Amino acid sequence: MTPTVEKALLIAGIGMAGIFVFMAVFYLLILALDRFLPYQEEKPAEELSEDSVSEEEE
Amino acid sequence: MNTLLSLADNLRTFWSYTGFFNAEIGHIIMILVGLVFIYLAITKEYEPLLLIPIGFGILVGNIPFNEAANLQVGIYEEGSVLNILYQGVVKGWYPPLIFLGIGAMTDFSALIANPKLILIGAAAQFGIFGAYIIALQMGFAPNEAGAIGIIGGADGPTAIFTTSKLAPHLLGAVAISAYSYMALVPVIQPPFMRLLTTKKERVIRMKSPRVVSQTEKILFPIMGLLLTAFLVPSGLPLLGMLFFGNLLKESGVTRRLAETARGPLIDTITILLGFTVGASTQATTFLRVESIKVFAIGALSFVIATCAGIFFVKMLNLFLSKEKKINPLIGNAGVSAVPDSARISQIIGLEYDPANYLLMHAMGPNVAGVIGSAVAAGILLGFLY
Repeated sequence: MTPTVEKALLIAGIGMAGIFVFMAVFYLLILALDRFLPYQEEKPAEELSEDSVSEEEE
Repeated sequence: MNTLLSLADNLRTFWSYTGFFNAEIGHIIMILVGLVFIYLAITKEYEPLLLIPIGFGILVGNIPFNEAANLQVGIYEEGSVLNILYQGVVKGWYPPLIFLGIGAMTDFSALIANPKLILIGAAAQFGIFGAYIIALQMGFAPNEAGAIGIIGGADGPTAIFTTSKLAPHLLGAVAISAYSYMALVPVIQPPFMRLLTTKKERVIRMKSPRVVSQTEKILFPIMGLLLTAFLVPSGLPLLGMLFFGNLLKESGVTRRLAETARGPLIDTITILLGFTVGASTQATTFLRVESIKVFAIGALSFVIATCAGIFFVKMLNLFLSKEKKINPLIGNAGVSAVPDSARISQIIGLEYDPANYLLMHAMGPNVAGVIGSAVAAGILLGFLY
């Protein structure tokens, strides 16, 4: 194996590992997003105002 | 008599300036290539938004003229209009602007909803590094091999940006190769998708993705930017603009800016980029054995990327429970030709199960492929620039 090919394989290895590390960190960040900011059904504006009115009445 | 002689002289000079006088076989070949591009774009609708400007650019770039006359019309003549427009390619201004527009039109929901799909976008980047090694073996210098390898990312702007830094003399060949194969994704990918999957795998039904909140959509590009800035700073021009464009879209308060980025801005840059890349393929610089090698390696890189994506899904399935299994037909979508490769997943999937809609699932690896190829470009630039 020539030194050029050896270096190429090294770059390719580090490159692919780098991409997977980047994507894995991204993956974990998205999981964290889902965990700490789970989806909550957004109430329509009318419903919200009705809620506030009923709170005031109480 | 003198008048006649002078007239003859003038006519001779005029004739020496015409394209007919200066035409060589290379010009004719390239003009035919340009016409084929235009034909494919119009009749087959293969990436017409790209192939029409590139095809027409090839025609313009290969009109033979007397270079010694200093007419200032050629793309390589300093100060000519074409040369000024070409600076956006050479200096790498156009690709980040295109990424801004792509960011403003991309919905990352599919990826956020099922984040393990992001890893498929990583696996498909084997195409880049496989092509890089093949190019080195075929005698290209390391920087040239890096530029050729990036064709496997199936992302025109990324390929142009990387090549403009690593091997500007290969810009025409790399750009034409990348865009041609992106246009040919519907031809290249399906045979390998059928070859590498079983009938049972092709009918795997995936769970519907969960709903993604607006907060997640807003935080995604900010996290992406920070991650890129700290992990792969050399990918910042492309990924920074991609995430910026996406924040314009998702913030909900910059609708006008987002619409400009994904509309008039990206259209203008696409026209300039396609046209000047086409015009840069002058026969004298383009018609070489090197270019043929670039095309051959480019085709291989698409095949490697497609196969790597599919194999990765099959491997991932070994560790997933039955209800969480991924249909390997979306593995090809890691090749970031958005949205063509995701559409191929859908089309092939429907052939085997007419009620199995894979498009929404395939969009995850597809947009991950865009991020993955830009990260790969950043890594290659970090090592080879």
